[in-house]
Amino acid sequence: MIDLRIADWRAWAPGLDSSEAWQSWANAPWTPDEHDEQPDCGFLPAMQRRRLSRMARIALHVAWPLCGDEEQLPFVFASRHGETTRTYAMLGDVADQQPLSPTQFGLSVHNAIAGQWSILRGQRGEAVAIAGEGDTFEHAMLEAATLLDQGAPAVIVVIAEERPPAPYAGWIDDIPFSYAVALRVGASRTGTAPASRWQLQLISSTNEVKTDWPFALDFVRRALHGPTTSLVHTWKTRQWIWQPIP
Amino acid sequence: MNDLERDIAQLIIDTLSLEDIEVSDITPSMPLFGEGLGLDSIDALELALALQKRYSIQIASDSRDARQHFTNVASLAAFVEAQQTACAS
Repeated sequence: MIDLRIADWRAWAPGLDSSEAWQSWANAPWTPDEHDEQPDCGFLPAMQRRRLSRMARIALHVAWPLCGDEEQLPFVFASRHGETTRTYAMLGDVADQQPLSPTQFGLSVHNAIAGQWSILRGQRGEAVAIAGEGDTFEHAMLEAATLLDQGAPAVIVVIAEERPPAPYAGWIDDIPFSYAVALRVGASRTGTAPASRWQLQLISSTNEVKTDWPFALDFVRRALHGPTTSLVHTWKTRQWIWQPIP
Repeated sequence: MNDLERDIAQLIIDTLSLEDIEVSDITPSMPLFGEGLGLDSIDALELALALQKRYSIQIASDSRDARQHFTNVASLAAFVEAQQTACAS
């Protein structure tokens, strides 16, 4: 069983980019229309922005305000499906026997966004990139807990998924729309009280509890807004129980 | 700037996603790497690929003269013209 303090969080999805918008979404969730919207990441000079993919922009946009310039914090990047848009474009080039773009090829690894975060923010600490199954969110939080246990004051966790290109439709059915959720787990940046505290427990059970949305979004909806009751999320034989700590 | 130089400047902007730069910001003698436009080694690879595709030319990756050719837009234009002549003959 692990204790997790969520000091702060940010989320982004098409048309959902403010605490008011997320509050509305939490009250009555909907699937936003998507037309390749992406945050502009105007906090970066254009020369530094130009190699950021759409997912990188979304991930950096949500993580950026959670870490102070004077801080060095471990970073956990989690995505079940990764950058399918880039992968698909490169596979198309391979099929057409076209040479691959060095930039696209160089960034086509799961830890590329963690690397870009490190470079752009001058973060020299640990960075982890994980791809789990339907409970990738919990595994990211578990990773954060181990980093906190090793002495980090706080950990920046980002969960990001992007709508895949149409040919993936038969295989990827758990991304209703592109989104990213960033959480600052551990000590607050300003020393204020944590936004919420949770106890996370894993038990073995096949008693499936369906969630309405990908769990990271359900966590935003049910844990970070509104009444704090316990949450249960089952994936295959793993049942994760989130218990709020008052 | 002649037509080929303007074409290459536009290719640089499009290929390397230089969203805040326009063709008129680039002069034929402006250094592309380091000072000047501020491109880096990955840009050089990306640009070489784009030039090969666009102008149907070959650029040997181990060419000792590559650094010279990639100095600025004027040197790239001269190189492209020379290669096109060589490939055509």
